[in-house]
Amino acid sequence: MKYRSLFWKIFLCFWLAAAAMIAALNVMLWLSIGNEPNPERRRGALGEALNLYSESAVQVYDSEGPKSFEEYVQRSMKEAGTEIALFDSNGKPLVSQSTPEVTSVAAEIQQTGQHVSHITSLGRLTWGRPVEAPSGKTYIFVSRLRQPYIPRGLPSWGIVLSIVAAGVISYLLALYLTSPVKKLKAVVQSFAEGNLDARVTPQLGSRRDELADLGREFDHMAERIAALISSQKRLLADISHELRSPLARLTVALELARKNATGKGIGALDRIEMETERVNKLVGQLLALTRLESGAERVPPETVALEDVVQLVIDDANYEAKPQKKEVKAIQLDPCRVRGSEELLRSGIENVVRNAIRYTAEGSAIEVSLTARLDTALLTVRDFGPGVPESELAHIFEPFYRVSEARERASGGVGLGLSIAERTVKLHGGSISAANAHDGLLITIELPLSATPAAVTHAVEKQPVQS
Amino acid sequence: MVSVLLIDDDTELSKLLEEYLQSEQFELESAHDGPGGLEKALGNHYAAVILDVMLPGMSGLDVLKQLRQKSSVPVLMLTARGSELDRILGLELGADDYLPKPFNPRELVARLRAILRRTSGSSAAAASQPIHLAGVELHPESRSVTCSGKPINLTGAEFDLLYTFLRSPGKIISREDLTQAALGRPMSPMDRSIDVHVSNLRRKLGSYDGDQERIKAIRGSGYVYLLPGEQS
Repeated sequence: MKYRSLFWKIFLCFWLAAAAMIAALNVMLWLSIGNEPNPERRRGALGEALNLYSESAVQVYDSEGPKSFEEYVQRSMKEAGTEIALFDSNGKPLVSQSTPEVTSVAAEIQQTGQHVSHITSLGRLTWGRPVEAPSGKTYIFVSRLRQPYIPRGLPSWGIVLSIVAAGVISYLLALYLTSPVKKLKAVVQSFAEGNLDARVTPQLGSRRDELADLGREFDHMAERIAALISSQKRLLADISHELRSPLARLTVALELARKNATGKGIGALDRIEMETERVNKLVGQLLALTRLESGAERVPPETVALEDVVQLVIDDANYEAKPQKKEVKAIQLDPCRVRGSEELLRSGIENVVRNAIRYTAEGSAIEVSLTARLDTALLTVRDFGPGVPESELAHIFEPFYRVSEARERASGGVGLGLSIAERTVKLHGGSISAANAHDGLLITIELPLSATPAAVTHAVEKQPVQS
Repeated sequence: MVSVLLIDDDTELSKLLEEYLQSEQFELESAHDGPGGLEKALGNHYAAVILDVMLPGMSGLDVLKQLRQKSSVPVLMLTARGSELDRILGLELGADDYLPKPFNPRELVARLRAILRRTSGSSAAAASQPIHLAGVELHPESRSVTCSGKPINLTGAEFDLLYTFLRSPGKIISREDLTQAALGRPMSPMDRSIDVHVSNLRRKLGSYDGDQERIKAIRGSGYVYLLPGEQS
């Protein structure tokens, strides 16, 4: 997992925030425990209440006697959970039971004559002061509150444990937040790679939050894009297909006309035939291209001897190139076994070689070489033509892309050959690229070699179906 | 006049072709859908059938499949340009040759004549003796083939191809000669059908023990039929 990923950001942020809060809380606790209440200070409402309490308790003892006081103590224990002890001015206890804590506070008050309050280890407040009864006698009143006065800070292992717990919770939270993002990313990626059927919703389950909304919105968008693309492709395929029928009729009608033609008429018919053949080729290439893109052409898992295919293409290409005083030379042909369709590969390679014939200078020889690398077959076709401006190299595999006046229609191409080659190579899990040699263009095709049959079947199946 | 059946949904094209083929001494009958064409092809005796792959209702390939179960009438297939696999499938299903559509009618006539020449020529081979070679048995009179005792279903072109190979095993035969022998016509540039036929034949026969191919491609020259243990 990448350290800059959203998951880590959320996880670390939440965890750090939680840890910081735990730490801050503990520091605050520690500070407040460290500063025990100032004995001199009367502590707000609580101090006021305790003052009143002590006075009324002393009054009960003083005026109603030990027996009523005992009852008063019992009631106080029962109702508020507050222990009360009363001592005389010499520090002698006036009630039988009292804890050492209380006794020590009483002794302190007796010595100092001051108001005292202590917080014991359990966080309970023990508070006492000398009280003068209306009768003039002085008593020492001590009470001990049951409730812890201030919660104690957590011990250090507790701090560690709570930070770990915060980590676990942050982890789960980050996972919960980022897992749909990851799924969304995978789907978007697959969509971008051409799988127009990729949708997010089925993967989000019953989630109903903003991320699920985002997923649904993406699906809507994907739906629309897929519809647009497929309708555009269908349009192209339909047009090409519909052109076929009138073209077929045209060629037959042309031949019928030729049977009756004489003299000048024949020249015009030749011209018509040539132009018809051009449209014909274009339609054929368009259909081939749309088929490759639509995924109608599947790659059969056959082993193809690439060197034989290349040799055949070279033989045929020479047949075509000779009249133009051009030549196609095989520099090197290593045996290369690849998986796929021999027919498709041949037409792909043929398109590259034909393109080279079209642009290479008269009298020059196109150089074709096929070399076997570790796991790829490397096929290069180099012509000696004008080349392509660097800025336009990336575009030459786009359908109908024309580089410049230097490569125009007069050269005979319609600009689909390299697109067909590119789609074919991609369909076979390979890659194609173009670069300028010092004079001319160098097209490089890489195809995965089928070294071990099992591994290659896998590679071919792994190919995403283009749609 | 030779009677030929055209199965194509384009009625206007059918009319034009009828007129053109008439002048070339062919009598063309046409059907405009798959089931109708299939019925006609099975019901009458045609010298050849021209079959468009793209048909409404029932695809041309399905028509071919059903036709081949009952009849061995030569079939010339019209395929869409740009679709390599239609063509391979068609030849695999037993079409004798193919022509990408739109086609030049002169080419159509040439192909038709080649098919007819070949199918009528096969009667001359009928007198020949059966050939036994390395597990393969070929009977010219019944045009049947067995490999390791198992009967193998070959199309007309594949049979002629195998016959050519078996008559000169171990010799390199050029693609031009093979095209002439199996398809009855000269090879045209960029014509790949002979390779499709060879690869179909190769697949149907299977390889020798130890993965040795029976038919080996010789780069730049042609194909050779190998005997077991033989290296090219």
